[in-house]
Amino acid sequence: MSWKCKLHGRVWKLGGNVDTDQIFPGYAMAAPADKFKDYALAGSEIPDFAGRVQAGDIIVAGENFGCGSSREQAPVALKAAGVGLVIAKSFARIFRRNAINIGLPVLVCDLEQQVENGQEIEVDLVAAEVTICARGEKIRATILAANVLQTLEAGGLIAKVRKQLKIS
Amino acid sequence: MNQIEGYLAMAAGKDEVHNGDDITVKVDLAIAHDITGPMAVEQFKKIGVGQVFDMKKVVFVLDHIIPAATVEAKVLHNVLREFSKRYGVKLYDKGEGVIHQVIAEKHRLKRGSILIGADSHTCTAGAYGALAIPVGATELAATMATGTLDLEVPEICEIRIDGKLKPGVYAKDVILHLIGHFGTAGFTDQGVIYTGSLMDQLTMDDKMTISNMGIEMGTMISYFADPDQSVGRVKEVYTFKTEDIPASVACPPNPGNVVRAADLSSTKISQVVIGSCTNGRLSDMLVAAEVLKGRKVAEGVTLLIIPASVDIAQQMEDQGLNRIFREAGGVITSPGCGPCFGAHMGLLAAGDVAVSTTNRNFPGRMGHRDGKVYLASPRLAAESAIAGTIVSPGQVVPLGGLADELEV
Ligand code: SF4
Repeated sequence: MSWKCKLHGRVWKLGGNVDTDQIFPGYAMAAPADKFKDYALAGSEIPDFAGRVQAGDIIVAGENFGCGSSREQAPVALKAAGVGLVIAKSFARIFRRNAINIGLPVLVCDLEQQVENGQEIEVDLVAAEVTICARGEKIRATILAANVLQTLEAGGLIAKVRKQLKIS
Repeated sequence: MNQIEGYLAMAAGKDEVHNGDDITVKVDLAIAHDITGPMAVEQFKKIGVGQVFDMKKVVFVLDHIIPAATVEAKVLHNVLREFSKRYGVKLYDKGEGVIHQVIAEKHRLKRGSILIGADSHTCTAGAYGALAIPVGATELAATMATGTLDLEVPEICEIRIDGKLKPGVYAKDVILHLIGHFGTAGFTDQGVIYTGSLMDQLTMDDKMTISNMGIEMGTMISYFADPDQSVGRVKEVYTFKTEDIPASVACPPNPGNVVRAADLSSTKISQVVIGSCTNGRLSDMLVAAEVLKGRKVAEGVTLLIIPASVDIAQQMEDQGLNRIFREAGGVITSPGCGPCFGAHMGLLAAGDVAVSTTNRNFPGRMGHRDGKVYLASPRLAAESAIAGTIVSPGQVVPLGGLADELEV
């Protein structure tokens, strides 16, 4: 799998309490899987996000990112649209787990006030460290649990379960 | 250990578990619906096992977009039909109702059982003492293969509520009040145990309304204590008195934005929704019918009545509630989720304002991002439908009638 523990991308700031209806609206829920990416953040303050995001871009949000529904379409759409990482001050439980399970890294870090939209940042997932490229400033994030790193390294939960069940 | 930890330990085959422990629990029932199920099925197939861990312990319900509103939705139904046929798992595909209600009616688990569901309101089953944990489609797929779930034992808090509810105040107001108090992330990654003398007066319907919205405070588990066991050690006990709980409304843009109903009058509305896994049960319909009997829905207001299950729909018919709703000017839809999550059957346009007994009011939840949703009890919703504005219970129809007695 394409496990990359060092990421580099442009920042999209999103604010606090971004719920799953904003990340992936209910009306899109029946869409076929190859269209999910077109609806990424369609219900948010950046409804045209899907058309503007570039591969590797990084979402930087406030508290409780991904609150609301259990729809896995939300992290899947973000990942498919090209988002490489979501950083938030805190995450809702199900979104956080869903993201990790599908291999979209998430990092807990209070970063929003310290970066600007479009700024480039570098992130080391294992060291849990964010570097703001322009200033060279380094900011600590919360270390990811060992089993989370394992899941991400395996490329998601399905691959991990296959390993566990010894299906090759 | 407290009650939740005790049952988690049992499910993990351990003598004791404590907050922070990584454990693997045996799952008693794994559920999904027409939106999350197809994705779980796809992920399950990627695992490559030939069968689910136990055919009797996997259940799918078509409830979110039934009847199919689009061709795509029908494709999702067909995915689950095919899968259930091939793998022998139970599928409710006749519009039996909202998943959480169907599970409560047909698959009610014993206290302490582990239910996982690819739907955030799986927590509803905490009303009858199940440890009900919402998951995503991929996690459900993994459980469908292994029969287990990996989790970290959460911190557990107790919410203790004593007293009797004031007239015009319902289970919905209790949970709205709590969400307003603790905020939408108040219990992220935590479990909550409900205790206190109020619990003895609540019906199962009431308890389901309260546990249903636990996820709106971020809870991992919402659980009603077994009154015959001691609660055990918890991280924190929060106490509330019912006399401090008013009729409440959650205003846009999220369920934590809660105010007293009395502070909201003169907000004009264009739609009222009575239904959902939060408040679509018979007791809710009885309260609404009592209010609407012999009265008319205000001009410019669409009233939608959505029974949470086909059993409830049948009882509504048997008890003559449907006639009351129709004569009042309401639209009764087939059982299911209806417009609750914004896919079909009653969407809002920009500028519309709805009072809804559902559980979420995020921007766009019921249609256009600039349509507004206020969350409230069936009583408040029904009275508001008549008034055409958001009112407090008792303002349009005096309190103390049959509706109040029925609720107790
Ligand atoms: S009624 Fe609403 S909240 Fe309940 S399961 Fe259906 S969409 Fe979800």
